Amino acid sequence: MERAKQYIVELCCVYTLMSVLGAIVNIIAGTQTNNANVLVMFATCAIAAFVLYLHKLFDSVSPLVMIIVQYLIACGLCAVLLLVIQKVFNQTVTAKGWFEYYRSFTIPYIVLAALYYYRVFSETKKQDELIRQIQQKKES
Amino acid sequence: MKLNLYEDKNNMNEHVDVYYANMRPVIRQIIDSVNKDRPTLSGRPADEDLDDGEEMILDPSEIYYLDHIERKLFAYTKDGVFRIMNTLASCEEMLWTYGFVRVSKSNLINIYKIRQLKPDLNMKVYASFDNGERICINRSYKKSFNDYLQKMRGIM
Repeated sequence: MERAKQYIVELCCVYTLMSVLGAIVNIIAGTQTNNANVLVMFATCAIAAFVLYLHKLFDSVSPLVMIIVQYLIACGLCAVLLLVIQKVFNQTVTAKGWFEYYRSFTIPYIVLAALYYYRVFSETKKQDELIRQIQQKKES
Repeated sequence: MKLNLYEDKNNMNEHVDVYYANMRPVIRQIIDSVNKDRPTLSGRPADEDLDDGEEMILDPSEIYYLDHIERKLFAYTKDGVFRIMNTLASCEEMLWTYGFVRVSKSNLINIYKIRQLKPDLNMKVYASFDNGERICINRSYKKSFNDYLQKMRGIM
């Protein structure tokens, strides 16, 4: 129950962020969205939040492996989502549609993964400096 | 810290006065020593060939890290590996003022003995020690490790 609550909170945060970003992009580009897009975005956010939520299962592996595995899981779930959309709405997603969908999903993922990578290195550097300070203070 | 020692062969009332600005770990260690509360770990060499059955007193400041393997606790020092009969949790509680912090389910490391903290390309963060060994800092303990470092810097 606690986990479900945590997941819903994460999903709300992710969806709010994506909606606001989407609205900003629409204003700048002068484009408009439709109901189907809103639902697909929500489903994609639910997948992303779920995949991010799995990180606790990967404590024993390296973060790099975790990022790759999470990406592959997300890709699999997104494929299921598109197949369900095709079945339920009786519509065909073209090859370009698949490509666009995965591209719009992959680019932010790579950017966020790079940021995470940078954060691990910068945080470790800071901690290393902190340890030096503590050691020097002890010696003085 | 300035240290004054006064030798008086006729002194029948030996005592220690400590003047301090704030209760830092080093002050706490002095108090523990005077009160005979200084934590001492006793252990036997992990290598059976070196074990003559006698327990050795280990100075916490000489320990690089503690490792819990198969329900046994080992202390890694410059002089070798020793088996300790305490639990990891009791050591964590007893040794926190001596620079020991939990970095994984089975490891307690001495921050004063860390030579370098460095991430690998796979983003796993390792603490390297003078003896050349490395201990991985688990992601689940990253926040508590950072909090501990901040706390230690604040009270030092």
